[in-house]
Amino acid sequence: MGKFNPGKVAAIGCIALAMFGTGVALAGKADNDIRFAYDQAPESVDPYFNNVRIGVIIGQHVWDTLVYRDPDTGEYKGQLAQSWRRIDDRTIEFELRQGIKFHNGEEFDAEDAVYTLNFVADPENAVTTQQNVSWIEKAEKIDKYKFRLISKEVFPAAIEYLSGPVVMHPDEYYKEVGPAGMNAKPVGTGPFRVTEYDVGKSITLEKNPDYFADSPKKQGPIEKIVIRFIPDRQTQMAEVLSDGVDFIMHVPKDQAEQLEAMTNLQVVSGETMRIAFMQMNSQDGTPSEALRDERVRKAIIHAIDRETMVKEIVGAGSRVLNTICFPAQFGCTDEGAPVYKYDPEKAKALLAEAGFANGLDLDLVAYRERNQTEAIIGYLKAVGINANLQFLQYAAMRDLIRSNKVMLTHQTWGSFSVNDVSAATPVYFGFEKDDITRDPEVRDFLKKGDTTISPEDRKAAYRDALKLIAERAYAVPLYSLPVYYVATADLNFKAYPDEMPRFWEMTWK
Amino acid sequence: MTDTSLSLDLAMEPTAGARMRKRLFGQKSLVLGSGLLLLIMLVALFAPLLATHDPYAQDLAHRTVPPFWYAKGSLEHILGTDNLGRDYFSRLLYGARISLLIGLSVMVISGIIGTTLGLLAGYFGGKADLLVTFLVTTRLAMPVMLVALAVVAMVGGSLPVIVLVLGFLKWDRFAVVMRSATQQARALDYVAAAEAVGASTPRIILGEILPNVLPQLIVVATLEAASAILLEASLSFLGLGVQPPLPSWGLMISEAKNYMFFSFWLIAIPGTMLALLVLAINLAGDGLRDIFAPEGR
Repeated sequence: MGKFNPGKVAAIGCIALAMFGTGVALAGKADNDIRFAYDQAPESVDPYFNNVRIGVIIGQHVWDTLVYRDPDTGEYKGQLAQSWRRIDDRTIEFELRQGIKFHNGEEFDAEDAVYTLNFVADPENAVTTQQNVSWIEKAEKIDKYKFRLISKEVFPAAIEYLSGPVVMHPDEYYKEVGPAGMNAKPVGTGPFRVTEYDVGKSITLEKNPDYFADSPKKQGPIEKIVIRFIPDRQTQMAEVLSDGVDFIMHVPKDQAEQLEAMTNLQVVSGETMRIAFMQMNSQDGTPSEALRDERVRKAIIHAIDRETMVKEIVGAGSRVLNTICFPAQFGCTDEGAPVYKYDPEKAKALLAEAGFANGLDLDLVAYRERNQTEAIIGYLKAVGINANLQFLQYAAMRDLIRSNKVMLTHQTWGSFSVNDVSAATPVYFGFEKDDITRDPEVRDFLKKGDTTISPEDRKAAYRDALKLIAERAYAVPLYSLPVYYVATADLNFKAYPDEMPRFWEMTWK
Repeated sequence: MTDTSLSLDLAMEPTAGARMRKRLFGQKSLVLGSGLLLLIMLVALFAPLLATHDPYAQDLAHRTVPPFWYAKGSLEHILGTDNLGRDYFSRLLYGARISLLIGLSVMVISGIIGTTLGLLAGYFGGKADLLVTFLVTTRLAMPVMLVALAVVAMVGGSLPVIVLVLGFLKWDRFAVVMRSATQQARALDYVAAAEAVGASTPRIILGEILPNVLPQLIVVATLEAASAILLEASLSFLGLGVQPPLPSWGLMISEAKNYMFFSFWLIAIPGTMLALLVLAINLAGDGLRDIFAPEGR
């Protein structure tokens, strides 16, 4: 037999503890239920008033969008909308499906769509996810099942946004209760309805018996999804080990690989649209003059061994990036962009050339995947850059960035699963609040890409912008992040790159 | 006859040095504690010589290698490697430096503040005493951990910040003990004698009182050092203490937390070391107290 393994003993001990704790939890399989644990609770269940992943997941189950993008083919299909056509560069006309009912019995028609779109587009209503809706100028009703949507400027990615974060609310109910009431008692048209909501603790979704059969989101056999908010990853692991939950996601690579050894569990990983990168503050008033020197910025990129990081600590399904966007997004390319290979000697030479032969002290802010940040700090230290880590909550880090108080950042961006570069690169280089490089040439290319209709011209404009960002080394493109799901071995499910578990299509073996 | 009785008397009456030795080595806890403490101090001092690897050198291809007594371990990394492939043994040695550095510096800073306040309050009494008592109660009303967390969250964690924050927060026990000890010493004859020969007040406080309250001071100092080390570990564990890549034991425990289920040694090794160090200081402190101030037993 093998040697005594205290780790295994500890694991078994913890499992035993967890079992006592959840002795009453019944297996979800027998009832066609899925028990899902997630680490953050949304500040509001209303999809317009939170910007966390679990909010997007609940949003897609409880609500529907006008358009549906098939995750396998990328093809757009009508969901609440039967069909749509472009009237001019800024106007799209939608013909809605008939006979769809909200969970409270209200019928879905053009009134609901027009009200929802006008409500979220109005800055006074202060929806949290501004970048998802700020392109909308207004919506106008034509008849009961027809309306027009007008964007502020030419906005070619409109349908992509309408197939993702822009869900439809019932107008009468929303007028009456507002976002707070929508959070307390959510009502949508989606394949699941909220039957129980214990704020900050758990939310229970049950199959919507009146869901329309023509929806591209086909209802499966799953009757109930119980989502519990468990902030501590170790507790989540103990729960999944002891059959207290059936499904967890965002499990760190090392832990996922360890859980793989358990026969009652399956581990599935896949690439996501979330990209990791580092910003280097080179705008006016930056706290670090050194970062205004292109040689220093290039040295930082050369110092980090992204290939090894991807292979050893980031995990299966991720890839090294050379530009600041996700490769599958429309307009994303690294064509013509310089590739900065891992070369610590070159990094040291560049630093010496820039006058920092004796080292350089920089601050680094980060908010997730701390082990990756620490690996980056280790690589920077090896070429003489002492990076002082400030590990913060996302909101605190965002405030520091927006008030121009950061030097280096370790950022990630999931583009709200929008499959278009307009949802990624311009956020950090288009003179938006999070832009800490502010190069007008880059901005102009991006702007051109965002507001041009011809796909070829758009691609060319984005290519020029991305190439310029890479040439001038404004940021360190790192890699795309994978997601690891750990689930009970008997659950059939598929991982998609948009980090969206689709419970409606899952089945039990 | 007389000779023998004299020699017998001499043999019965050990010298002062021998008495001290007996008291020192008769204290098992003191011997054990200071021995352990000395060992850890030596290890910290000679960390560069003892370390088998650079504690900062990461090797992502060899991560979470177990210690040598596991089947997968090797003598290349005696205690294995951490989640970034850094040698755990070397980090542990350098971590001893951080812990001791923090324990000692916090002890010195808070000791200076607290002793000064305590001596002044105890010697002068009256308004000075009222003021110091007020300061101490104010300070006691603030939970150390909470204030430390708030300050670190505002200005960012780093080694000097942690030392200063803890140093400026942990003087209360020094002040309280020094105050009452000084009050007692103040009433003694030699202070009155010094006053009678016209010695200056600073001379009396530093020359007459301080040496006489030193034993109590040493005991408090050891307790405070141990508690500062634990506080630093807690802050680092919460991610608000010493920042990576510095190898603090608290930080090592924090990083190992995610590996608790399957790589148990990662959390057990620095945890054991931390416990040993605090135990050593407390044992030594207890022993010293029994010798210098046995009434406090």
